[in-house]
Amino acid sequence: MKQQEAIAYTERCFGGQPASCTSACPFGLDIRAFLEKTGRGRWKQAYRQLRNAVVFPAVTAELCPAPCRTRCQRTETGDEPINLSGIERAVVRYSPEKHAENYVIPAKNGKIAVVGAGLSGLSAALALAQKKFAVTLFDRADGWGGVLRTHANFAVFDADFALAYENETVEKRFGTEIKSPGELDGFDAVFLATGDGGGDFGLAASFDPELHATADPRVFLGGGLVGEDAMSAIAGAVAAARTIEVFLATGKASATYADLKKPDCSRYVDHDGEPSSPLVAESADGYSGDAARAESLRCMQCDCNRCMAGCEMLARFRKPPRKISSEVYSDEGAAPPYSTHIITRETYSCNDCGYCKSVCPEKVDIGSLLHLSRVSRFENGTSAPALHDFWLREMDFNTHGASFVSAGAGRGTCEYLFFPGCQLGAMLPEQVESAYKYLNAKYETGVFLGCCGAPAYWAGRDDLLNGNLRGIRDAWETLGKPKFILACASCDRFFRELMPEIETATLYELLDPNDFAASEPYAAAVFDPCAARDNDAMRGAVRALAARSGIAVSELTEQGKCCGYGGLIREANPTLYNTVVTNRIEASEKPYIVYCANCRDVFRSKGKECTHILETIFGQSSKNVTFIAQKRYNSIKLRGIMYEITGTPVRNTEQNPWDTLKLALAPEVAERIDRKLIGGDELREAIYNAENGGGAFGSDDGEIQCKLTRGALTYWVRYRKNGGAFEVLDAFYHRMKIAGTAK
Amino acid sequence: MSALKCVKCGVELKPKKTMFEYLGNTFSHEVPVCPECGEAYIPQELAEGRMREVEEQLEDK
Repeated sequence: MKQQEAIAYTERCFGGQPASCTSACPFGLDIRAFLEKTGRGRWKQAYRQLRNAVVFPAVTAELCPAPCRTRCQRTETGDEPINLSGIERAVVRYSPEKHAENYVIPAKNGKIAVVGAGLSGLSAALALAQKKFAVTLFDRADGWGGVLRTHANFAVFDADFALAYENETVEKRFGTEIKSPGELDGFDAVFLATGDGGGDFGLAASFDPELHATADPRVFLGGGLVGEDAMSAIAGAVAAARTIEVFLATGKASATYADLKKPDCSRYVDHDGEPSSPLVAESADGYSGDAARAESLRCMQCDCNRCMAGCEMLARFRKPPRKISSEVYSDEGAAPPYSTHIITRETYSCNDCGYCKSVCPEKVDIGSLLHLSRVSRFENGTSAPALHDFWLREMDFNTHGASFVSAGAGRGTCEYLFFPGCQLGAMLPEQVESAYKYLNAKYETGVFLGCCGAPAYWAGRDDLLNGNLRGIRDAWETLGKPKFILACASCDRFFRELMPEIETATLYELLDPNDFAASEPYAAAVFDPCAARDNDAMRGAVRALAARSGIAVSELTEQGKCCGYGGLIREANPTLYNTVVTNRIEASEKPYIVYCANCRDVFRSKGKECTHILETIFGQSSKNVTFIAQKRYNSIKLRGIMYEITGTPVRNTEQNPWDTLKLALAPEVAERIDRKLIGGDELREAIYNAENGGGAFGSDDGEIQCKLTRGALTYWVRYRKNGGAFEVLDAFYHRMKIAGTAK
Repeated sequence: MSALKCVKCGVELKPKKTMFEYLGNTFSHEVPVCPECGEAYIPQELAEGRMREVEEQLEDK
């Protein structure tokens, strides 16, 4: 992965970027942060931030024309823009501490003359004096202030200048008019700010507004002399001071990084649904503290955090999208133990549900970025196989042990091919059988029991994914390119994304509501699987079927979020998984109508009442929660039924010697083991090995403990013989491998 | 629960330093081992406690 490739995923994200008001501010003041402080009455902190940006807070509060008002998004709710000047005045009035910072830094070499003690000259002289250059400030008048000396509020401005200069040593040569450059020969640099129409030493014609430089390399211009208004005179002088510093160090004027950082916010979040908030009027005496706070709180703190606010994973890790992409990239180069991966847990904690992209104004797709990372980690050998091991073995079972393809009884090709998906058949085999019979009675329909490859996709296993896709394409071609009928939203998503050449429809669109009878009416909310977000036909068809069944359907306020199953995060982040599932369950008190077998399984395992739409029309399943062992059994059974229905000669299916081993599990043990994702096959095989001479450990009370390594996991089973059955008392696993005993 | 014995060898397990490997890292820990055949036994509390913590730490690295 190249750096640009990772960065490209989030470069359109403007979360955390300067707000539109800041981009209009001559000083680039972070107005959002400023108003956050004033909203809480933190006058001292607000004052410090203001002074650091605008140099003379009292002057700016009075004289700034506040161009921020033209970009304030408060107007989008039909209100007046924020009265920033009024709030600035309040900050100046209420800050209990206004003394300038006193930085102890060594004196620098360099004598600088500043000619003109108006706003421009004062700002430049102050900035240079703070850097500890030897600054001499000239003005022909008897004091500082320039054109402001005659302003009605000059006393206030005068006090502001005195505050700013209280810690700095500047030689003030007031009452001294500089008429020619020759008078300043002893200085290393000169900043001329003699005001509108003031003396320019004949250099104004060569003025470079970017650098404030002139044809004379040691002379810089600023302020009214070069047409700057009051605010740009201050901001420009601060920038010029930085350029002068560079000039003194290198002999050449050039822009500094700070000058290049020009904020430009052309992108906005919309403020739909934001209530109006009218202006808090400022009296002639200015705002009271409370009124200034109230006015500050009108700021909507315009910033985009939609993905982070809506996604539990992003909220949990608190990393903004741009940081995620740079970390995805830097993780590529990590070489433990010298440097470590920093975003592994996030990478495997993403549900890959696409919610972030769906709410992003710029359609930034963090899920795809993290998927890219999963693929790349597998390819360079830095993935943790244990996190996806269970589901990859399930996929292997569903694409080999339990798979089946037929064009239908007496046919070599078919028009439609029913692909129920691996989990639906495992949980609701009878409903799948009924659905196939229904379809086959109406259309020329074949059946394909298999897996779309989602577990391989989520594990970042492109090798397994592509192998599976080849199998699906081969079957499709052999059966005469039928239209696939999909029952699972995830299958639908992966077919559309990965095999767009195959025409598909969802089962629910082909089930005519008029063919089914209404049942007992009840109220339920439809929980749409995340993968159905973009499939309106599927969503609509399910609602029509539910309505026909007599269900009073209500909609969830928050739609398109994953039930928790997506991305198979359960092993990588069980805590987050539980949070996600709980949040989805609590989205409504009503029972859910679902149309994804995984949503059903996830919700039911946490006690949420929910029904698959196929159960409302083909009959309820007797099983509340289907355990792993039962799922595998159901899949095999369903395949047997399909052999029969389609008249396919039954192949000799391979039997393992442990398949017939009789297990007994107390219900609470069965549930506990199932939650650990340990299936009956692992239990049987481990016990079979132990009973047939494999290693095991026993105690005098008849309990035996044995182990079995499968894939990346080592399972342990504790059991005892009970008549002809083996009573399983508990089971667990670890990911580490036992590498032998030390010498 | 009475003392665990190795079913194959019929002898009681004795604590012994045992090597573990995960994601390319190797480390040792004392667990009950059959003194005859060397088979190691992992108690459930260890697997679901400290071992899981270490596994997660190594996955994050």
